[in-house]
Amino acid sequence: MSTQAARPTPPVNRSANTGQTKEKEKRPGGLSSRFFGASAMSFPTWAYALFFFVIPVALVIFYSFGYKPDQFTAIATDHLSFDRYPEAMSASFVSTFFATLRISLFGTFLCLIIALPFAYWLAIKVSPARRSLALALVMVPFWTNFLVRTLGWQIMLSPDGFLSQWMQGLGILDGPLDILYTRSAVQIGVVYNYLPLMILPLFVAIDASGQKLREASYDLGAGKVKTFLRVTLPMAMPGVVSGCLLVFIPLNGDYVTATVLGGASGSMVGQLIANQFNTAQNWAVGAAMAMILIVSTLVVVGLGFTLLKLGQTITARLNSVPLKDGRA
Amino acid sequence: MSRKNTFARRTPTDIGLHIWGILVFAYLFIPIAVIIAYSFNNGKVLANFRGFGLDAYISGLNNDVIISSIVTSLQAAVGAAIVSTVFGTLGGVALARAPKGAWWALGLTAILGLTLVTPEIVDGISFLPWFVTVGVDWGITPLNNGLVRLIISHAMFSMAIVTFIVRARLAGIDTQLEDAAADLGASPWKRFKDITLPIAAPGILAGALMSFTVSLDNTILSSFVQQPGYTPWPVYIFSAVRVALRPEVAAMSTVMFLLTLLALAFVGFVLRKAGGSSTEIIKTMAG
Repeated sequence: MSTQAARPTPPVNRSANTGQTKEKEKRPGGLSSRFFGASAMSFPTWAYALFFFVIPVALVIFYSFGYKPDQFTAIATDHLSFDRYPEAMSASFVSTFFATLRISLFGTFLCLIIALPFAYWLAIKVSPARRSLALALVMVPFWTNFLVRTLGWQIMLSPDGFLSQWMQGLGILDGPLDILYTRSAVQIGVVYNYLPLMILPLFVAIDASGQKLREASYDLGAGKVKTFLRVTLPMAMPGVVSGCLLVFIPLNGDYVTATVLGGASGSMVGQLIANQFNTAQNWAVGAAMAMILIVSTLVVVGLGFTLLKLGQTITARLNSVPLKDGRA
Repeated sequence: MSRKNTFARRTPTDIGLHIWGILVFAYLFIPIAVIIAYSFNNGKVLANFRGFGLDAYISGLNNDVIISSIVTSLQAAVGAAIVSTVFGTLGGVALARAPKGAWWALGLTAILGLTLVTPEIVDGISFLPWFVTVGVDWGITPLNNGLVRLIISHAMFSMAIVTFIVRARLAGIDTQLEDAAADLGASPWKRFKDITLPIAAPGILAGALMSFTVSLDNTILSSFVQQPGYTPWPVYIFSAVRVALRPEVAAMSTVMFLLTLLALAFVGFVLRKAGGSSTEIIKTMAG
């Protein structure tokens, strides 16, 4: 990296600085270099993020300590309190909250279970020539409007839809298919909608977890199962982590899928928050609910990471012993 | 890449994996196929198939409300893609070239990371009062325009994606080229334009595409920031879900689906020309 060892005659504009080791960060040269320095270049992004994310979200956090003064005003903040938090946690909110959490966690789990063998197949078993096409096919639903895809499920699951009629015709069902507007329909829909977000990071991680290492593992006498558990899976862990994050976080705040497929029985926390802002016009309670949603999402993610770290420590300890034995 | 040993003989596991792969593909594609099939429904209600025909396409294309919502969506998506690509590229280049441990780089990474983990509904309820404060109370009138609101909020949503894609793209590349250009006397602007940008180009393109589709897909955030006359297409569909869905929705969605496929094929082509393997292309596209 040291560029100062044998450098040709420095250009005029930087001659003042020749002996400096850190010249990469500090390039003198008047106004233009100040504009193109890394820190200055980050300024617009900083400003945008501050003005359109940090401040508005901070405002909502502030609102959660306010109150609704009368029927016609959405928010007042002249005296602040924590009172909106217990108010937000009404019995119906708490039950919806846990139902949402269950759907999100179970949905993330199902996505992982479905996507892991699929991504493994895609990365290792599909011939490289066909893999591009297969990958492009995985991307297609990802680029289709997710609301429209959900409508596809609504048509399919409806009691007088074609699936219901076929299943009745084949004798699988006695009556019409009774799944639309239930929590099962919501579960099917969310797994479907977020599955590509799980497949892609898993694929990338498994693909990167080198063929060479797998072959080395076979050469050293490990079986297929052992190779998968000891080589492929540990190396795919970053993909598992990012896949779970990519699925769980948006899923936990989503309510569109649930509204389309779950109807009245599919209400999610996100819907309750939206109602506070749109219909009830009680911003303080809505903001408090939103804070509860964010904090709980972060807590679940944090717990997940802790479990992962713990699991890695344990497996690392377990794996370190038989390797020595195997060498002997 | 030799795969002789995996294809020499097919074990039961291999067969099982192949079947699983095909099943997952079926799962991924059936709802899309259903929508395309039902777009040829001549009936009045989407889910109730009454005869095959192109009625829905004709009446959809002649429906001013539908067309204007699709146009709004496309305008917002293009705008959001441009805004988030400009800001995200600057941010990504800055982060990739940041000295280790610089406070502004860590802070920006943290904030952008937060934007990614914030549920969309929270962004929605944050923008709603903020646009009123800035646009109405402070009198910055451009922010009262529905399209501007959509573009700003969508761009905020995808700026982090572009930033991280561009940063990842540049992270693997040494700064030697830029140093060499500097040594040879190139001005900072020339260095940026002639070296950094071309290297980052596939990432920038992928980021732009990503923010375009993220914007087209966006429902929750849009439903909060939308103004009368600027209802984007997903919000139109979402409100139709609660009333009555007509086959026009499926027909217009099929049209947009085909357009998206064309755009994707084009981008894939460009990325391939830029010399990336398919895996890399997917990596950049998926962020």
